[in-house]
Amino acid sequence: MSNTPSENRARFGVPEDSMVFARGVRKSFGTLDVLKGVDIDVPKGSVACIIGPSGSGKSTFLRCINHLEKLTGGILLVDGAFVGYDLRKDRLYEVKDNELCQRRAEIGMLFQSFNLFSHMTVMENLIEAPVHVRRVPVEQAKSEALELLARVGLSEKVDSYPRELSGGQQQRVAIARAMAMKPKVLLFDEPTSALDPELVGEVLQVMRDLAETGMTMVVVTHEIGFAREIGDQLIFMDGGVIVEEGNPREMIANPQSPRTKEFLSKVL
Amino acid sequence: MNQLWVTLRPHLPFMLDGFLLTVFACTLAIIGAVLIGALMASLRTSGNRIVRGVAFAYSDVFRNTPFIVQLFFFFYGLPEIGIYIGAFETGVIALSIIGGAFVSDVIRSGILAVDQGVIEAAKVSGLSRWTIFTKIVLPIALRTSVRPMGSVLINMVLTSSILSTITINELTGTAKIVASTTFKPFEVYLVLLVLYASLTYALSLLINTVHRRLNRAMDTGGAA
Amino acid sequence: MRYADFTPYDLVLLAQGLGVTVGLFTLTTLVGLLIAALFTLVDYYRVPVLRQVIVTVSEALKNSPVLVQLFLVFFGLPAFFHINMTPFVAASLTISLNTAAFAFVIFRSGIDAVEAEQVAAAKVYGHSRWQILRFVLLPQAAAFSIGPLVGLLVNQLQVTSLISVIGVFDLTKIGNILNLRTLEPFIVWTVVGLLYYALAKLLASVGARIEKRLRRSVVWEGI
Repeated sequence: MSNTPSENRARFGVPEDSMVFARGVRKSFGTLDVLKGVDIDVPKGSVACIIGPSGSGKSTFLRCINHLEKLTGGILLVDGAFVGYDLRKDRLYEVKDNELCQRRAEIGMLFQSFNLFSHMTVMENLIEAPVHVRRVPVEQAKSEALELLARVGLSEKVDSYPRELSGGQQQRVAIARAMAMKPKVLLFDEPTSALDPELVGEVLQVMRDLAETGMTMVVVTHEIGFAREIGDQLIFMDGGVIVEEGNPREMIANPQSPRTKEFLSKVL
Repeated sequence: MNQLWVTLRPHLPFMLDGFLLTVFACTLAIIGAVLIGALMASLRTSGNRIVRGVAFAYSDVFRNTPFIVQLFFFFYGLPEIGIYIGAFETGVIALSIIGGAFVSDVIRSGILAVDQGVIEAAKVSGLSRWTIFTKIVLPIALRTSVRPMGSVLINMVLTSSILSTITINELTGTAKIVASTTFKPFEVYLVLLVLYASLTYALSLLINTVHRRLNRAMDTGGAA
Repeated sequence: MRYADFTPYDLVLLAQGLGVTVGLFTLTTLVGLLIAALFTLVDYYRVPVLRQVIVTVSEALKNSPVLVQLFLVFFGLPAFFHINMTPFVAASLTISLNTAAFAFVIFRSGIDAVEAEQVAAAKVYGHSRWQILRFVLLPQAAAFSIGPLVGLLVNQLQVTSLISVIGVFDLTKIGNILNLRTLEPFIVWTVVGLLYYALAKLLASVGARIEKRLRRSVVWEGI
């Protein structure tokens, strides 16, 4: 039998309210070390924003959380449980595909390029995973999807195809698609970077609304303004390590590390 | 022109038979090619290196040798090992095999061309490998493959004329006979050329329609 | 030893067949590419009537079986125009035109693939239509075309096997002769097939080398 979340919590000293818990997370691609030991705590219901120059490892870390990338070392728990592994005695075993799918279903993820299923309508995009992974009845999935579309302000686009939508609308649909799985945590990988400037606002507004409902969010972003306003903690990564972290408002106003200072002066 | 009609008219029913045989042979061979191609394309994604190698070799060998050589290989070779089937069956099998080699390449590149980001989005929703393949990858690959698949099928129709070299009286075979009995080879072959061109043109119209239908939703450029 | 067995002389026969195949392929490729280049010029300068004729002819050649084209040229033309036609001439003519039809389309899309902005920029600098073709379009179009062109030529190499049907003594015809004499179809056709295969691979690797060289300066986002 593998360890239960409560056993994991006891063993690794995970705080009770922790949603994402990382200790010494390392990731290498061949000889290239992308993550060199990352420690992060994201409490339930909070918003963590990760900033940093490109190549700093921030996206890779995000992808490690839902096991899109396998860890090279360290511990990464979501709500007290490993995502891609089972801990038996003192060894980690990779979980079977089926199990991985069920665990991933609890972690939503948004991408820079939206990645909607281009051959499906908005409605089909939203009900695909609930119906096939959660086994929700189609009718119920549809009515839930309509509610979510109303929340992101796209009720009238229910039968549109992705290519008929603007980038901002596509990303809002993608958020609704992720929410349809009722995830415990949402990961955002530069959700506004591919958008025209005038479309950024509508996506950030939807994310702001989500944060207010108490959704746990880990956001890799270049939107410093968003981080300052919504973030509960700000994490600055560079060269595969966390250089500085803290309260967003304090950190932006008064960065301690010269590297943070330099980065912020470029993006602000 | 009128005289040509008078000369050719008695032979038209015969040529119609040939035309129908061409359509029949191509239909069978296309079905065979798609089945073989789908099988080979999926074998090429197999985890087993030998299976992958065999599937690759299949498509490599049959694409890089002339069809007429393959046809003779089967036509003269099969009886040597005790397999006695008719020329027509041999021709359809050979055509299916070379078609399958091309179809497998089309399906494979269609699958490889599916955006990795979309596959990741499906993965993080918790969809299983099988669901991702059948519900996401395959439908998208199918849509982008219509046109290349179409040119493979059109090529198979053109290639089917070579079946006339192993005594099959399909369209080209009957035309050969009519050309030599009427002593009007130029006219007969010109008509034949136009017939094939019309046939493939009709096929390409059909393919375009299918492409448009399937791609109404898709952002593949030039569609819809 | 039976009369029908393989003899050392068969190797000479095979070599001769191979020579005819390679020779005819080389000849038709050179002639075909030349014709295709002329076709492309006519198309580029939008020569009226001639342009429509070329497009129609090349569509007809692309959309009909090469075997039928061979029959039309070898049996049809002499009967209709009362001229003499040897199998080799008929084969060369047909395959050249067939290669030209396909290469023409490749060249044309190669030129179309160069962005309109570059042409506009060249126009702004006062380049003539010929200068634009020579210095802007051709170098890039060559790089775009080389990949599809190599694919086409590998295919045309296979197509040359059809000339055996009108009596040219190419590799396939030699295969036929050996097959009928020895009654060893598996051996004969495997050897013949392997020779074609080796030629195709050789052609593809030479093509890949040329492509690598031409493409160094050009990035193509299509395909």
